[in-house]
Amino acid sequence: MPLNRHPTQWPWHGLLALILLSLAAGLWVATKRVNYEWRWERVPQYFFYQAEDAQSAPVAGTITQIRPDGARSRVDITPANGAQAVSVTVETDTLKVKVGETVTEDSDIGALRQWKIGPLTWGLWVTIWISFVSGFIGLFIGLITGLCRLSPNPTLRGLAVFYIELIRGTPLLVQIFIFYFFIGTVLNLDRIVAGIGALALFVGAYTAEIIRAGIQSIAKGQSEAARSLGMTAAQTMTHIVLPQALKRVLPPLAGQFINLIKDSSLVSVIAITDLTKSGREIITSSFATFEIWFTVALLYLVVTSLLSQLLFWLERRFARSD
Amino acid sequence: MIKVNNLVKVFSGRGKPVRAVDNVSTQVSKGEVVVIIGPSGSGKSTFLRCLNGLEAFDDGQVIIDGVDLGDSKTNINTVRREVGMVFQHFNLFPHKTVLENVTLAQRVVRRRKPAEAEDKAMALLTKVGIAEKAHEYPSRLSGGQQQRVAIARALAMDPKVMLFDEPTSALDPEMVGEVLDVMQQLAREGMTMAVVTHEMGFAREVAHRVMFMDAGKILEDAPPMVFFTAPKEPRAQTFLKQVL
Repeated sequence: MPLNRHPTQWPWHGLLALILLSLAAGLWVATKRVNYEWRWERVPQYFFYQAEDAQSAPVAGTITQIRPDGARSRVDITPANGAQAVSVTVETDTLKVKVGETVTEDSDIGALRQWKIGPLTWGLWVTIWISFVSGFIGLFIGLITGLCRLSPNPTLRGLAVFYIELIRGTPLLVQIFIFYFFIGTVLNLDRIVAGIGALALFVGAYTAEIIRAGIQSIAKGQSEAARSLGMTAAQTMTHIVLPQALKRVLPPLAGQFINLIKDSSLVSVIAITDLTKSGREIITSSFATFEIWFTVALLYLVVTSLLSQLLFWLERRFARSD
Repeated sequence: MIKVNNLVKVFSGRGKPVRAVDNVSTQVSKGEVVVIIGPSGSGKSTFLRCLNGLEAFDDGQVIIDGVDLGDSKTNINTVRREVGMVFQHFNLFPHKTVLENVTLAQRVVRRRKPAEAEDKAMALLTKVGIAEKAHEYPSRLSGGQQQRVAIARALAMDPKVMLFDEPTSALDPEMVGEVLDVMQQLAREGMTMAVVTHEMGFAREVAHRVMFMDAGKILEDAPPMVFFTAPKEPRAQTFLKQVL
């Protein structure tokens, strides 16, 4: 019998499916027990909805003509003094007047429907852009701090250590409060700026440690070779050490940024309407607690898995030289 | 070309300080090939690394082509341009292609135009016999090929001196020859070279002078014919008996 046996795989896949199915069944039974009525049909309207915008007559007069215009109708109102007719466009099925009818100023003619972005989509967008901006700034802070952490200058090194320890040793929630209520008040910052600032400082401290570890993992011979060619310390860093270090720390950086997206939910405590806060607000009006939280979780999952796919793709691209 | 006066390098890590280079004075004139041999831990690599300031020495003087390395006015980077170095473990830049390895320093240090740097790089890669691998990454090359690229990379800066730190020690035996051939060619072309090596054949054939180092001191400094046939120092005699 060869050592390289290929064990049958399908029973294990079957077992996996069984476990997942029983989890789903458990969930279903659990919701049955608390007598919860699922109303998934309520969820889509929080992504996009059609808003009805009532249209009223701008002048008093007589309806002289109603012309169909696709699904809409154009209503011409001729004022009593014989001036130029004014036309109002409304959806045909909301039309409330007939030809020959007399209308007063501001009386209801019908409504226009428009697709609007719902709070979930809006919250998702806020979460994405806040995470992106604070991640970008955080990466920059982390890069600078990581380099300072390795600097031969004791002041720079001390500052970097102080910053990293300060941020890593306190909860993000507390940092957001301090940043908003203290620093934000002193510097008169907008809540969005305060939220992004707190997240950027938080992610910067962790990124600094990742980058420091990455730089230290590059063999000493690399910088020696670069220096022996006459490159300055800065040239060696930018051309030789950092490119290799960044490639190496891509997986932990990816983890850090995925964490950032999730941690950004904490900015809802300073009344930034991100995905989490949108969810909470929707629940107060819709009472679809379970559906909305599951949807919010799923949206976070989609964003984070897209990000990890992107970083995975980057990683493979960088692996060209291996 | 190289002038060393009373050079001292002390390693003071844990335990008692080690004088890796202990009051060494010597000279290498232009076009001369000096081979430094000695048992491991004798300070020969440290000595070599002091010559381009990779190792910060504690006392004494190193003067390369009239420039004092220890002088506070000396820009060490300007000196290093003129001193090429080849390492035991090649230290090629793994994220750059062979061609980029050879052109990078030309562009950022010598400020050559990309086309000029590439021409120079291709000429040197052809010289070390590896032009066809120009667009490969170093990881695809054998040890001997990598070391030849490393030599081309150092030569691309038009150095006045080349330092070789055990250039063949990390190579498979069948690849040692190709690297030594390149070095021999360089020596014939009149390059000033300081070579730390265990290749006694190379020392015998190519070197103008052989230095024997032990415990941080140069114990013997003689032409290879003299050194290999009639070493004066007992420690050199023992060493030669063991390696030959």
